[in-house]
Amino acid sequence: MTEVLAQHDVLTISGLSKSFHGRLVLDDVSLAVRQATITAIIGSSGGGKTTLLRCLNLLERPDSGTIAVDGAPIFADGAVCTDLPKLRRSVGMVFQRFNLFPHLTAIENVMLAPLDAGVPEQEALERAVTLLRRVRLAHRATAYPEQMSGGEQQRVAIARALALRPSVLLFDEPTSSLDPESTGEVLLVMRELAATGITMVLVTHELAFAREVADHVVFVDAGKITEEGAPAQVLTNPRSPRTREFLTHFTREGGS
Amino acid sequence: MFEVPWSEYSTDLWEGLLKTVSYTVAGFAGAALLGLAVALLRLSTLKALRIPALIYTELFKNVPLLAVIFLTYFGLGSVGLKLDAFQAGTLSLVLFYAAYLSEIFRSAINGVHNGQQEAASALGLGKLSTFRKVVFPQAMRLALPGTNTMLVDLLKSTSLLVTISAAELMSQGRLITSATFRALEVYLVIAAIYFVLCYPLSQGLLWLERRIHAGVPLSPTRRRRLRAARELLEVPA
Ligand SMILES: Nc1ncnc2c1ncn2[C@@H]1O[C@H](COP(=O)(O)OP(=O)(O)O)[C@@H](O)[C@H]1O
Ligand SMILES: [Mg+2]
Repeated sequence: MTEVLAQHDVLTISGLSKSFHGRLVLDDVSLAVRQATITAIIGSSGGGKTTLLRCLNLLERPDSGTIAVDGAPIFADGAVCTDLPKLRRSVGMVFQRFNLFPHLTAIENVMLAPLDAGVPEQEALERAVTLLRRVRLAHRATAYPEQMSGGEQQRVAIARALALRPSVLLFDEPTSSLDPESTGEVLLVMRELAATGITMVLVTHELAFAREVADHVVFVDAGKITEEGAPAQVLTNPRSPRTREFLTHFTREGGS
Repeated sequence: MFEVPWSEYSTDLWEGLLKTVSYTVAGFAGAALLGLAVALLRLSTLKALRIPALIYTELFKNVPLLAVIFLTYFGLGSVGLKLDAFQAGTLSLVLFYAAYLSEIFRSAINGVHNGQQEAASALGLGKLSTFRKVVFPQAMRLALPGTNTMLVDLLKSTSLLVTISAAELMSQGRLITSATFRALEVYLVIAAIYFVLCYPLSQGLLWLERRIHAGVPLSPTRRRRLRAARELLEVPA
């Protein structure tokens, strides 16, 4: 049974550990992400969510453990075992602070990676236009990032991350530096994206959104996955006392 | 007051002007390339590369240009490395201005936000592509004002090459003066020519800065790409 399911895993993480300056930030984390599913990672700040996400495209080097993408190991025995640019073309990432290239217009931001990867100019252009339409920003294609709102910038960043047709898209708190209106725009785009069958791993504090779109919710605390399962279960009837504490705290602070 | 027969000297002045422009172009091109190389060395993680680059920068920033000119022309000549005036003059300008430009370039590269390199690697860009397509264009924008100041400064400093009779404007001025004994008139004209060179240059560079700042794409590739994008976007989905 597990064998058969494993074939459908886009990401397989096992025994992942990482420490910064001798302090363990990820402690023996194992997780599988199945194709065409949305995995939401929740947990209080400083728990290691960003570090976990950044290990998945090796922006951060784990100390130990293994990671496989589409069944092929990318990290094992403490060493990177893949071509990094190739890996990163199959694992897209959307940052909390957008990190758009300020010297380029929206459409050039989206075209940059495909052109660099050797996609012909015309095809890269058509792809970028399609993606900008998908995030409802075709009318802003030739605007520079500084001329756009936070919500618009983040949607361009999503289009940019999709331009190489990655097998999985990672989001690190994509709405936490946005105002409510922009948050709504970005969540709308992500909701539509989720419906297209793309695989997503999403660190978020938008619990209502996680409950709505996620297939799997993972609670990370102090570098460990303390609980995971269906959203209804983890978010409504958490088994672990830490999850329960986090959720009450979060609801009380009006987080969502 | 105006008694110098300028029509007799117009060819000399013209040749001097061309020489001044040649020194400026060659000196600045060389200084920009060497300055960039030194800046990259100073940003290296290897101490063995950083230290020599630092020594170079501090050395040439703290020695007068005139001393550098005398050392390359007379100094090297006395140990058998004879350079002609153009070689020695250009070399001096390159060595001297590369030190200043490397400082400007280094802080500009440092000024590009870390998240930019991160975003580029997350998109699968290699080190070279990241530098070429993401870091360098942004650093260039940051370095532009300082670099432009240096270019105008370099043009004016070519006048120091009069000391090695480099045949540029100031040297021509000195020759005309010794033939006519009209120092005030000659040097007023020479000063005016420098002004006519420098003022449009610095204004032009300011205009360029403003255009780049306003997001006007300078490279033909970008212009073509954006035009193609606009055309494609006019077609309804
Ligand atoms: N580059 C780094 N250097 C040192 N410590 C880090 C670094 N990145 C993260 N940390 C530390 O690791 C812990 C987990 O951080 P992070 O993964 O950002 O948590 P989260 O995203 O859940 O808030 C924090 O205590 C943080 O200070
Ligand atoms: Mg985080």
